[in-house]
Amino acid sequence: MHRPSAEEFIQALLETLDDLPPDFIRRLEGVLKQDTTDRAQAIRELFEDAAGD
Amino acid sequence: MPPATEKIRRLVLSAFRGVPGEMTVEFGNGDSIVVYGDNGTGKSTIADALEWYFTGEIELLSHEGRQHAVRYVGGESEGVTSVEVVTSGSLGGKVVLPDERSPEGFQAIRRETFLLRGRTLADFINKTKTEKWKALVDILGLDTIERLREDLQRARNDLRKKTKALDEEVKTYQRALASGSADFNVDTVVGNLQEICRMLGVDPPQSLEQVADPSWLTGAVGASARVPEGTDRDALLAKIRTLNAPAFDRRAVEGWNDFVSSAQARLLPRASLVREAKRLFDTGIAERGHCPLCGQAVDDKSLARQIERTLVDVMETSRDLERFRDPVVQQGDDLEAAHGKRRTIQHRARSVDLELPPLPDILLAALRSNVEALASIEPDTVSKAVAEIRKWDRAAATVAKKASPAKPSTRDTQLVMLAALCQQVNAWRVVERKATRARRALDLAERVFDAYQEKQKEDLAELLKRISRRVAQIYSALHPGEDLDSVSVEPWTAKGLELAIEFYGSRQRPPHGVLSESHLNSLAIALFLAMAESFNERIGFLLLDDVINSFDVEHRGRLAELLADGFADWQLIVLTHDQQFFEHLSRRAPAWRKLEFTSWSYASGPRTTHYETTGILRGARERLENGDVQGAATKARRALEELLQEVCEALWAPLPFRRGQANDKREIGELFRGVRRTLKERAKPVLDTLEPLFKNLEADVGATLNVAAHGSRGLLGVSEVQAALERITALDETWFCPKCRTRIWHRGTPEAGRCKCGQSAFPPLG
Repeated sequence: MHRPSAEEFIQALLETLDDLPPDFIRRLEGVLKQDTTDRAQAIRELFEDAAGD
Repeated sequence: MPPATEKIRRLVLSAFRGVPGEMTVEFGNGDSIVVYGDNGTGKSTIADALEWYFTGEIELLSHEGRQHAVRYVGGESEGVTSVEVVTSGSLGGKVVLPDERSPEGFQAIRRETFLLRGRTLADFINKTKTEKWKALVDILGLDTIERLREDLQRARNDLRKKTKALDEEVKTYQRALASGSADFNVDTVVGNLQEICRMLGVDPPQSLEQVADPSWLTGAVGASARVPEGTDRDALLAKIRTLNAPAFDRRAVEGWNDFVSSAQARLLPRASLVREAKRLFDTGIAERGHCPLCGQAVDDKSLARQIERTLVDVMETSRDLERFRDPVVQQGDDLEAAHGKRRTIQHRARSVDLELPPLPDILLAALRSNVEALASIEPDTVSKAVAEIRKWDRAAATVAKKASPAKPSTRDTQLVMLAALCQQVNAWRVVERKATRARRALDLAERVFDAYQEKQKEDLAELLKRISRRVAQIYSALHPGEDLDSVSVEPWTAKGLELAIEFYGSRQRPPHGVLSESHLNSLAIALFLAMAESFNERIGFLLLDDVINSFDVEHRGRLAELLADGFADWQLIVLTHDQQFFEHLSRRAPAWRKLEFTSWSYASGPRTTHYETTGILRGARERLENGDVQGAATKARRALEELLQEVCEALWAPLPFRRGQANDKREIGELFRGVRRTLKERAKPVLDTLEPLFKNLEADVGATLNVAAHGSRGLLGVSEVQAALERITALDETWFCPKCRTRIWHRGTPEAGRCKCGQSAFPPLG
């Protein structure tokens, strides 16, 4: 049985979010692929940036 | 998914666990094997060795204080502890204690399933839902995806907290703007602002947006705003309370007095005369040979020197004068400034109806004239002046303290209210904007996280569906027709897994309440096999160590059939202390290797024997029945070799016996010699009985069982091979107990042996 890889999973996930702006999707993809300790914070900041003023 | 292909061909243990020296277990080309042995004979050493090699630890020894037992701890052993595994692929190698491999090296292998032990059989089943989830995440290699989910969740939770805090802040401002009421209304706030503006006589705002502009307040109020009376009075009172009198510098006054009374100071009044003399002398106006001041006859040169010396003294004294005079002048200036400041305060106080005490007179003119006249100053005069100012300061502070602040006017109050309201409106709007942004960010986070959860759930559901299907099949094979069906592994909330079973029409999740211990163990075995089938990518062997303890005879038989028939593509290594299970597996899977751990001793470790002969003899008979006479002869010869080899090993026959592949090349004549010599020394009557059989068998080896000779003769009789097979069987039976069907060196030593039940012995009893 095929073990799903993180890359494949993220790709499939992003395809389900097709109603979001492409720039946001591209940035989200970049952040999700960084397996770093402060990724949660980076994700939160991305959401806040995308929320605008 | 096709079964993983990497299988074990050989295992070599050195000074490991219960093995003092070296022990080799041969697996041929990756054959399955059933290993039989009583408890304590060392058969689980095989499982320990493979667990240590492939995972870097032995779970049983992972607790504190047990790690030392990886090395052989019984008897004397100076060898290096090592485990060598030869596989059909690249997983093999050799590990030496201390094991310096890094845990990361095992990560991929840890995801594969290969070991199930009786003592930890139901571990997975008994795990909590979250633990089951973690175990599955580990096996599926979902850790990266799981970490990402956790980060998304953390980001989402942070945004939830932030949004909640901002919403609370917004509510606080709204309550304040609504004068404590929970019913906040923008129109009400605008109405309040308009009312205050009307009272102040300024243009009221039409909306909160207008108020939010800082210039609105200045523009609207600026024209009518003036500094309120109370502001000046309050400032004055504050100033009085913080007045500081100048310090009295007694040392400066005394230094001045010392200077003016010195001889040096007396030179100063003559300084202008000396300078005039110098001018007259230098310009030549004065008559030569006479003093330019008094006209007396003097020597010009002496006069010039005298004038120069006096001038130097005058200049030095002038510098000293400045040094002593400046602090005294400063003292006077400070006193004058302090007096002036208080005079101003007194004047301002009168304008705000505040009556301060009269200012003292300070004799500053006298101080200045004394300085001009190079006269001494009475220190007490100055200190008294400072004291007078301090006294006034205290009196004025007392008055200021008692004076009440000015009451603001109604207009002032209205202005303050308007300013405060505007400030609150602006603060509320800033927080409201932040909260709106946080809500949008949270909405986005929720959407992404929900999509993530949904995707993970879908993927997992598909995986679980497949595993469940296979678990159910295996479980049904072990328990057919028991009305326990539809076994499945199901997700439980976001991060949990649970096993479920259909029990007479009702869904039981978890199934512990309705399943017996043996049924739960069957479930564990089914899960183990299904997980290996589903996810093993490299490991093609499965090791089951004493897993049938709670099974009755019928279920042992079913498991044997399942392993032998359903997992024929896998290399199975089955360790058991149960003779029935061993024999059942041996019958069901005749091609499997068989190994028995007969005993274990402190000095020499485990003793083993292979059960090759019986299986090979059966194979020879089958070939003969099928007309393959030559094949039967080859098998029969191989069976005789195996038998003699077993006997030599069991009786510790005096030949340079070697385990491993080299042992297979031993000449059959060498083995006959070893058996004869042992029997002659320890059981001469047995040798006499067997000698005719030995001779016939040696003849068989030279003719009937000599396949090379057949090739030259071209013919081989069925009856000859049949007769040879019967003789080999007869010799084989010599070493079997007719009652318990175990070898009579089962509990043996080199000198004597018994079968498992104790009825048969070597040398023969009595």
